[in-house]
Amino acid sequence: MTPQLDEYVEAEIQRLLAETGSVAEQGITIARREHLIVLGGEVESAQRRDEICRQINQHFPDVEIACDIGIVRAQAPTEVEEIS
Amino acid sequence: MIRIAAVGDVHVDKDVVGRYRPALEQLPGVADALLIAGDLTRHGTVEEARCMAQEFGDLGVPVVVVLGNHDHQSDQQDAVTGVLQDAGLVVLEGEGTVLELNGHTLGIAGAKGFGGGFAGACASKFGEREMKNFVGTTEAIAERLGAALRGLECDALVALTHYAPVPETLTGEPLEIYPFLGSYLLGQAIDSAPTALALHGHAHHGSERGRTPGGVPVRNVAHPVIKQAYNVYQLLSDEVDAGLVSI
Repeated sequence: MTPQLDEYVEAEIQRLLAETGSVAEQGITIARREHLIVLGGEVESAQRRDEICRQINQHFPDVEIACDIGIVRAQAPTEVEEIS
Repeated sequence: MIRIAAVGDVHVDKDVVGRYRPALEQLPGVADALLIAGDLTRHGTVEEARCMAQEFGDLGVPVVVVLGNHDHQSDQQDAVTGVLQDAGLVVLEGEGTVLELNGHTLGIAGAKGFGGGFAGACASKFGEREMKNFVGTTEAIAERLGAALRGLECDALVALTHYAPVPETLTGEPLEIYPFLGSYLLGQAIDSAPTALALHGHAHHGSERGRTPGGVPVRNVAHPVIKQAYNVYQLLSDEVDAGLVSI
């Protein structure tokens, strides 16, 4: 049974992601859909993305997650911007 | 011509070591210095600072950084600073440095900065002690940043902060958290000197470009905003670099 995904759950998840030592992410967005939450934003590694989902699953086992979190690209630039 | 590479919010820990390095190895060919706008680590531990020093040390160009809020999380910011300095990085907090590059001098004044918000919706030093401390903290940091900027003699002057000095580069963030992302006091400090460019991070969902009320170009170089290892900005142009496309 999917629990009601209200603002309190959203706020608790947001604080969990910032305050949990193994996560420490403040840039993850949470969008509530009817039966699930959609996670957005970008992190620095796949391990960090997976840990976010693991933490939410552990603390909110009845909440269904769709994870759209990306890994920030780290390639060299090809352009220079002239500042004037 | 001086070319500055810049990035912020790299949040280095052992799982990130090696990710930036291939792009960083190219730095001496494309930029004269690298500036990093805070949030160098995830939790501000000494171990993470060592990872940061390993990833961003020995690059062949000077590296100048400020700390961010993440680098204060473990209350070890002094030890973190020490590790970075031992690796040759210049760490600025309310102070400045001058680099000699390509026959020009580049002055960089840096500070972490803090919050408080912007004109029309900013916090005031009024009421509870906690509130006065919050705004007073930003005031003190901004005063030191302004003094550092005004005290530098150089051909081109750059301000480096973690928190944002203008709201334009926060576009994309929820309006409700703007007071936690920056302060107009930082912009005022930047406008008190002949600053050529202001760089900041912190706002992962923000926008890249803005201007201070005084007209100084502002760039949000948070890694999730620029979506590459670093951006390159050209100051004191006398020619366009052949290795990169000018935009």
